[in-house]
Amino acid sequence: MRFRTAIENPATFCKIVQAIEKLQKKCVIRFTEANIHIICASEANEGGMQVWSQIKVDSLFNEYRIQSNNNNEITVNISAEALAAALKSCSSNANRSYDTEEVVMKLAKKNEQAVLSFEILGTTPVGRKVRVAHDVKIEVLKAMDVEKLREPMCPEPDTHILLPPLHKLRTIADKLKLMSEILSIRASNNGCFQLSINTESVKVETEWRNLTNPKMRA
Amino acid sequence: MVSPRSDEILPVLKASVHDVRQFTSLLRGVNFANRATVTVTERGLVVAVEEARTLLGTAYIFSDVFDEYQYHSESQEEEQQEEQDVYNSAFEIQLNTLIECLNIFGTAGGSGSSGSGKHVQWKQSNEEQGSSDDEDRNDGGHGAEGKRRNKKGAQGGNTSLDLFFSKSERKTSMRMTYLGNGFPLTLLIAEDSSGPTTTCEIATFEAEPQLELPFDPDDMKLKVILKSSWLKEALSEIDSSCDKLTFIGNPPEQAHAERVSGREKERGRTRTKPILRIQATSMHGTTEMEYFNDRDVLETFECAGPGPVSFSYRFVHITRAMRALQTSIKTSLRIDKEGLLSLQFLMPVSGSRRNDTGGGSSSNFIEFRCLALDEETS
Repeated sequence: MRFRTAIENPATFCKIVQAIEKLQKKCVIRFTEANIHIICASEANEGGMQVWSQIKVDSLFNEYRIQSNNNNEITVNISAEALAAALKSCSSNANRSYDTEEVVMKLAKKNEQAVLSFEILGTTPVGRKVRVAHDVKIEVLKAMDVEKLREPMCPEPDTHILLPPLHKLRTIADKLKLMSEILSIRASNNGCFQLSINTESVKVETEWRNLTNPKMRA
Repeated sequence: MVSPRSDEILPVLKASVHDVRQFTSLLRGVNFANRATVTVTERGLVVAVEEARTLLGTAYIFSDVFDEYQYHSESQEEEQQEEQDVYNSAFEIQLNTLIECLNIFGTAGGSGSSGSGKHVQWKQSNEEQGSSDDEDRNDGGHGAEGKRRNKKGAQGGNTSLDLFFSKSERKTSMRMTYLGNGFPLTLLIAEDSSGPTTTCEIATFEAEPQLELPFDPDDMKLKVILKSSWLKEALSEIDSSCDKLTFIGNPPEQAHAERVSGREKERGRTRTKPILRIQATSMHGTTEMEYFNDRDVLETFECAGPGPVSFSYRFVHITRAMRALQTSIKTSLRIDKEGLLSLQFLMPVSGSRRNDTGGGSSSNFIEFRCLALDEETS
């Protein structure tokens, strides 16, 4: 089982993992030859929200090499928090003590413990080379456990709609949150999108019109 | 006037405004308890909030705050019978919900008005009605004040608040309808024509009899008019652990002499004793603030002697007025012989008034009335 890659865009990778970290402490990452999948499927998290994501290898990594007995796939269980911390020190804009030149992520074994090892090569402002390494403990899932990870079946959506600017959506959702526990969402095929609450004391409905309904492949 | 259509109930209230910030800031001034009684009248809205049968906060929102304002009395016959007996519609509403709805796009004006100086803007059209105020300010000749006036003169235009508001481009506009007793208050809110629209229906409740705290202006013990910032700074010094606040007024000894030599502040200050004191009492001690007889600070000071006037109030009640005090320009503090405190805050006026030609413009203000603590009878 071998895995080694350079992270071309640690800042983006970091942002993705930070979003995951807020949702769930541990997550599953499946590396395949073409994609990485970040999966949160634990029933424990709030509201039963699950994450099934798929990121193309080219968009984050280069010199990506993977090899395993299981169809060249490796699936690991990892602490999202620790991963985010490691990635944060990789992205050069997060810290000013050195500029990152190269980040390598690889699978390793240290003292019988499987780790995802991050090696950061950088230069300090005075021009000295530094090498920073993070090891994040992982648990490699057995093929049998991987089998159990199944993406839930979702019915074919009735409509697809492009959301309005998210920061505006968020402002409104934040206000509605103060007034009601339950929010209802409606979207139609003619570009209409509604957020509404309905309580004893107040009914509020915010409506966007002329949004785009993208054509999706069946 | 809209001609009544047969197929439709004529709404009691129909109002619209292209920028809700002034309306919202007036509502925020009395937002210390959730239930508010809104009285709809020909001239505007009166929003009243009470606490512990002791404190009554009232915001007077005149119709010229809105671009469009239409009021139709619910009882048509009564109106015809007798013109003088004006019937007003009233309902209760959850004030906080109303404010949240108005601010749904986050552009109904800042929630906290911590910045002090920038908020102090003088009303522009003070030529005909505010002439006495003008005098006061002219003979004051206070440095900062003069500067502000100069700056305003240079701007020339008829905008006062717009200058301050122009920082953020986005405005929330709204249309408000109240069909009548038993109907919800309906708001239609939008930020711009291309953006989303929000429809709100806020439940209204039957108005219960309001707390009445009649103030007797004929038997006034103390009357002070001062710039709101002077009072705000004094009150914000007071620690929140204080439970009692006392206003003490001394009749000025040399009032006439002082008025003549108003310019010579230094001499005046050393010569006279404080004419107004604010005393805050807590378990740990007392804080005392003194105002001297200085026309730059106390624009008007009347105190009916003989002897000092002193009344105490619960500090928590006074703090309820802080929000309104912070946004206001000028404060009138009056106490009658029963110790009933009346605090009137003159609120800034936005430059966009449509109806200012008809009937003269009215200043929006917020009034707080508070009963004195019983123990003090002096």
